[in-house]
Amino acid sequence: MVTYIVRRLFTAVLILLGASFLVYQLTALSGDPLHDLRESNSPNKEQLIQQRIALLDLGTPAPIRYFGWLAGAAKCVVPFVGQCDLGYALNGQPVTEALGRAMGMTILLVTASAVLAIVIGVSLGIVTALRQYSGLDYGVTFMAFLFFSLPVFWVAVLLKEFGAIGFNNFLRDPHIPVSSILIIGVVSAAVWFVCAKGSYLRKLGSAGIGFLLAAAVMWGLSVTQWFKTPGLGLVVIVICGVAIAFGITLLAAGLKNRRALYAALITVGIGTVIYFPIQELLAQATGLMIFLLALATVLVGLAVGWLMGGYDRRQNMNAAAMTAFLVGGLILLDRYMQAWPAYFNNGRINGRPIATIGSETPNLQGDFWVHGLDTFTHLLLPTVALLLISLASYSRYARSSMLEIMNMDYIRTARAKGLNERTVVMRHAFRNALIPIATIVAFDIGALIGGAVITEQVFAFAGMGQLFVQALDRTDPNPVMGVFLITGVLALAFNLVADLVYSALDPRVRVKA
Amino acid sequence: MRFGRTSKAIGVAAVAALALSACATSGGGNSPEGTGESTAAAAGGSISVAETNAFSSFNSDSATGNVDINGKIAYMTHGGFYYVDNQLKVVRNEEFGTYEKVSDDPLVVKYTVNEGAKWSDGNAVDAGDLLLNWLVESGYANDAKTDEEGNVTSGTNYFDFAGDTSGLGLTEIPEVSDDGRSITLTYSKPFADWEIAFGGLNDGGIGLPAHVLAEKAGLADEQALVDIIQGLKRGNPDEPAKENKDLKAVADFWNTGFDTKSLPTDESLYLSSGPFVVDSITPDQSITLVRNESYTFGPKPAVDEVTIRFIGAAPDQVSALKNGEVDIIAPQPSADTVELLQGIEGVTVDVEDQLAYDHIDLNYKGVFKEANVREAFMKAIPRQAIVDRIVKPLKADAAPLDSQFFVPAQDAYEASAASNGSGDYKEADIEGAKELLAGATPEVRIMYNKDNPNRADAYALIQESAEKAGFKIVDGGLGASDWGAALGNGTYDATIFGWTSPGVGVSGVPQIFKTDAGSNFNGFSEPAADKLMDELIVTTDSVEQDKLVTQIDKHVWDSFYGLPLFQSVGLDAYNSDRIEGVKYQPNQTGVFWNFWEWKVK
Repeated sequence: MVTYIVRRLFTAVLILLGASFLVYQLTALSGDPLHDLRESNSPNKEQLIQQRIALLDLGTPAPIRYFGWLAGAAKCVVPFVGQCDLGYALNGQPVTEALGRAMGMTILLVTASAVLAIVIGVSLGIVTALRQYSGLDYGVTFMAFLFFSLPVFWVAVLLKEFGAIGFNNFLRDPHIPVSSILIIGVVSAAVWFVCAKGSYLRKLGSAGIGFLLAAAVMWGLSVTQWFKTPGLGLVVIVICGVAIAFGITLLAAGLKNRRALYAALITVGIGTVIYFPIQELLAQATGLMIFLLALATVLVGLAVGWLMGGYDRRQNMNAAAMTAFLVGGLILLDRYMQAWPAYFNNGRINGRPIATIGSETPNLQGDFWVHGLDTFTHLLLPTVALLLISLASYSRYARSSMLEIMNMDYIRTARAKGLNERTVVMRHAFRNALIPIATIVAFDIGALIGGAVITEQVFAFAGMGQLFVQALDRTDPNPVMGVFLITGVLALAFNLVADLVYSALDPRVRVKA
Repeated sequence: MRFGRTSKAIGVAAVAALALSACATSGGGNSPEGTGESTAAAAGGSISVAETNAFSSFNSDSATGNVDINGKIAYMTHGGFYYVDNQLKVVRNEEFGTYEKVSDDPLVVKYTVNEGAKWSDGNAVDAGDLLLNWLVESGYANDAKTDEEGNVTSGTNYFDFAGDTSGLGLTEIPEVSDDGRSITLTYSKPFADWEIAFGGLNDGGIGLPAHVLAEKAGLADEQALVDIIQGLKRGNPDEPAKENKDLKAVADFWNTGFDTKSLPTDESLYLSSGPFVVDSITPDQSITLVRNESYTFGPKPAVDEVTIRFIGAAPDQVSALKNGEVDIIAPQPSADTVELLQGIEGVTVDVEDQLAYDHIDLNYKGVFKEANVREAFMKAIPRQAIVDRIVKPLKADAAPLDSQFFVPAQDAYEASAASNGSGDYKEADIEGAKELLAGATPEVRIMYNKDNPNRADAYALIQESAEKAGFKIVDGGLGASDWGAALGNGTYDATIFGWTSPGVGVSGVPQIFKTDAGSNFNGFSEPAADKLMDELIVTTDSVEQDKLVTQIDKHVWDSFYGLPLFQSVGLDAYNSDRIEGVKYQPNQTGVFWNFWEWKVK
């Protein structure tokens, strides 16, 4: 095992050296760094050209310049001694500093969409696999391919036009006209129809329920001016909490496991009781506090599950902890909504909250919740754009992997020995279906840090992609190399991790030393 | 020790409560943090502007900081003796200080800062600051020799000044007045652009405070720096002096010490002597300027706060404007962008000429050695058709540019265009060209930037038209990275590219049109024009200058130099439902030129 890793790391270093040399040369050859000055007719043109030449060290041929860069970059590897020196960008900024900032922005941009894409994509894939060749399967497949084939810059422009500008206009007078209510109702009816299982009549019935439910919710939102002063309130939290408790128990333990169900319901009860007292504390929230509260919530859930006792405590604890976490999330969401009017009416927001550019409103003053909302309104559109596009691959992988597993002999065996369907799917099939996906996820995380060039550009996010493209534009090799170094190292590292994870997850695969 | 279950639970709960309260924000949740800014916003309001590039330095004059956006920040945060308005006229700011020509021969100019002008830390703007600026912009002490590769082989370059040192380089060490508020510059010979040589806002005003640089370089005080400057000898690259350690320390800090993407904790790095002072920066996203409370010496801005947000692409600037995130944008113009903007309600769009213009130059050798071949080729160039194809979609009233020197925004343009003979080349004259060629079929290789769609379009139209007249056209177009290096290397007969007119000042004229000058790529050489240019650069009167340039213009046209084609189009747009006072400006300051007139309705 160790020799295997060492061997892989050694080849990785060689690959990095070769690739970085190539990238450096390609960048240097990609353009004329003096082109804007050549067209200049200012009297000191020669002097400006000399300055630029000195700044980029253009007098030295690129293959030799590369080794200068390499010498600086090598210092990053030497522990303790070396100050990392990746050189300076054309505007005099140290590349290490620019990289740190850009990486932060990129991580901010891609984290939410990556997590959501994995969770939603995998669940869609599993569900469609379980109901292969149904209307739902075809519907999801169609949508997945549709989104997958959309160019991101176009999606982004549409999102800006309707999601930001249109929605902000709507917020001026958040009244939903009857026609819109009807359309939304019909869409909801269609979704319910497709999702429902069973006879035609039953499907029609659920379509009717779907229509009524959506129309009623929309009408309620419109009449109460919910978009101006949104909130969930205790009642909605309790209703949703109970639904979550049942849903989670169904998946994690099965509804027959009464102890698990009660444990989940008790955590909902605790959440309800604590809802009012916790508001005082939340009013002074900080990020650390929210993290500690989340931790506490999970611990309370685990404790409740453990105290319920019974034959299989782990099932109780899982169900209760997950329920507790989600109910806590609801309370958090409710608190954010309470802060909405303060945010909405802030002088800097001026009633147009959904943003089309950047990651924050400059100079926004406000508490933790207002800043949280600000981040949310800025990240919403880029996250949706990225999500729509990456959803497809995850759902397809998950579907095919799940289908393969469901046709395995051991699944038939499990059914034959009388296990109920929940246990077969959740315990025997689902877990094994995740193995190939785990490796894909590892790859993707490496790729994500490299930045989403187009999305960053369109939403004016100063992330890795922007840094790379802008530096390339100026034929400025240092930032390009910095970005390459990070993405290259991550790609190789996660490649290795993916292989190791696979062998750890799947005992059939063994790493040969 | 044994604890019961209950007491354990209580203990855990107590610790948890302590931990949670420890990480709570101080001052409670409804602390009135937001009230201060909302009252401020009520008075003069705040305006948000979109810019393409991100801020990177408080020193816009240095080699690394010389980017448009840094210059704009400097424009708003520095005091200066004059600015250039949107008619390309020099407007003095006599509330900040005055300058006057004391004598013509030798040319002597005296600059005085008014009493009361001060930096935002309370220090007066005085002769020390002027002296430091002069030293930077004159390159007085530099005595370095550099080789082809830009490496210094001997001597020292102190300040990496990105501007032109040829004007102030003619001056000796200035005299400082007794009251310490004025300096007197004596030129060794008359200098045409003396009026825009020093302290203009467009070049960063009175750039960086001498007292800060003195402190950062480890000098005792500002006076120590003044003493060093006054003791300097003019640098002579042939006999390099020993490096002046103290001055080098000052210069080193000047060169890089002000480069930053975020707001420094040290306030002295971004002192303001202008209407605004930088309040906050989010790197690569935005920069916010607020009113400089100590500023009383110049136009007073109507708004309290200006936020500049960095948005690269034009369509994204447009949607940000539409969504109310920014109030003013000045994106790269294109027909799509203009159309998009004109479709938005409550937005005023200005489509105007820029100072940049495209032109076709003919080499004075090879196939174009004969004047009549050049004339025939010029006759065959369809200038009107080029304008119709490239500029008309953006700007309905666009017309071909009729002068090699002036742009229509300048007063002297019309007279020069009327007299230089440009009228003969408005439309393609195929018959006239054929007559001149008399059956010959010269082969012309045209070099241009293939990756620039405007240039490619212009080439296609010229090719089509010239082939009708009997020319054989060879496509010598090169890629974006190669064409610039090919300029003047003799591998082509004609080239299409762009110049940028400075708008004010005449120092750029000989750079292009004088025999063997640095940017004279086509080998134009006309003794009469050379003589006029020699006269031009020592003429200090602007009316005389215009007269001389008009004569040079005629010489250039008469020798069949080539043709100016069209001026590039500039674009700005603003939310006229919310703000007013924004005016288009063709030079690199852009819409910022009159930022003090911006007003929230």
